[in-house]
Amino acid sequence: MKKIITGILFSALIVSCSQNSGSSAKEVKAAIPGATELKQPIPQESIFQLKDSFETQDDKPFTLAMLQGKPTVVGMIFTHCTYACPRLTADIQHIAKSLKEDRDKVNFVLVSFDAARDTAARLKEFAENMHLDKNWILLHGDEDAVRTLSVLLGVQFEKDANGDFSHSNLVSLLDKQGVFQYQKEGLEADHAETINRLKKLMAQN
Amino acid sequence: MKFFLTTILVTVFFGGIFAQQKTVTSVKKMVVIPAGMYEPFFITKANKPLRVASFKMDETAVTNAEFLEFTKQNPKWRRSKVNRLFADSNYLRHWQSDTVIGIAHKNIYNSPVVNVSWFAAQAYCKWKGKRLPTVAEWEFAGNGKPLNSKYKSLTDFILEWYRKPNPPVLPNIKSTYKNQYNLFDMHGLVWEWTFNFNSFISKGDSRGSTADEQKAFCAAGSLDVKDRTDYAGFLRFSYRGSLKGNYCIANLGFRCAKDLK
Repeated sequence: MKKIITGILFSALIVSCSQNSGSSAKEVKAAIPGATELKQPIPQESIFQLKDSFETQDDKPFTLAMLQGKPTVVGMIFTHCTYACPRLTADIQHIAKSLKEDRDKVNFVLVSFDAARDTAARLKEFAENMHLDKNWILLHGDEDAVRTLSVLLGVQFEKDANGDFSHSNLVSLLDKQGVFQYQKEGLEADHAETINRLKKLMAQN
Repeated sequence: MKFFLTTILVTVFFGGIFAQQKTVTSVKKMVVIPAGMYEPFFITKANKPLRVASFKMDETAVTNAEFLEFTKQNPKWRRSKVNRLFADSNYLRHWQSDTVIGIAHKNIYNSPVVNVSWFAAQAYCKWKGKRLPTVAEWEFAGNGKPLNSKYKSLTDFILEWYRKPNPPVLPNIKSTYKNQYNLFDMHGLVWEWTFNFNSFISKGDSRGSTADEQKAFCAAGSLDVKDRTDYAGFLRFSYRGSLKGNYCIANLGFRCAKDLK
């Protein structure tokens, strides 16, 4: 009896081990073409520790850890917003433009408060209307995921009876590992310091 | 071989049932809160009264004993293992160790768990198949009339509580009053986390609705409150507004809610 249990446990162990080595072999293969793509472990204090799944404007599943490798500029908006959100988006566009060609080395992320109305199609339309290029990732997620991210970024928001949102306007900077670095509040704010810090983050490994 | 396998599987199966029974013993009573209108504390042009749908709420705050079970079964939420991003260094500081409340604190087993972060409260409620109540739900339920309070008004009762310093040993649940929805201790014992505690739109300690604030916040221009005499409400909302998700505070606990099926 004991032998058989041991046998079963042992074979279970082998199965799990071989599964592990299989996946790590795959990772190594994927990493070979560009040595810089080798992913470092995510630090404890990284916002990438948030495991919730979002969806992009192209209707693809997305986790924040997928931003790893480039610094990230992130804002939270909703597309039915007529006053603040287009301005906040324009502020981030201004940051992107100031980087010229180097803007390809940065993720520009907008996360929607509006779990109900901001579908992938709606976000795509918004991206097109605002002329956002391929460096922009627009995300929507369920209420829990969006609230958790807002808590981590210190963004306050509330849904009103009309389905619109009151919210604080913040532009946040994350380093390549998703660790929060800097934040600027307000619309049409002076982002010289944001750009300055972003350039430093781009230069980091 | 087959026989042995079956035996093992059966053992594992029943082991599972026994493990489940252990958690079943700590089933918490929930009460149904009827639907109603909640008038948001802060009035803006868009902030009309909200309809709060009927929902279920834990009749008391989550206790130390209940939270202990959670940390035992979810090692990543133990004091020594928790991620600082999700709970600051005060997390469960009143316990003796990771999974021991302590003999010295024997009388707090049935007291509300405090020194827990929003993330920890969220994780606990999820683990129970529940969720944190929204601000609207909590406020609506918390406005329920006291059934056994000697105070004339709820505000008087709350202000009397706010006036007192935190007791050295937190009293047990059900030690204050029961309200019209059969909820215990909505006020008078601890402050409680809500799902959207960070929905309080204010900037620092600014008191006016300045043009600068209008720029910083959508719809912040016409900020006003529904009842200027509700001093207790002012305190509650500004307390919530001062919190961050990983804060762990000695007088802040939580209870869970659930949608009606």
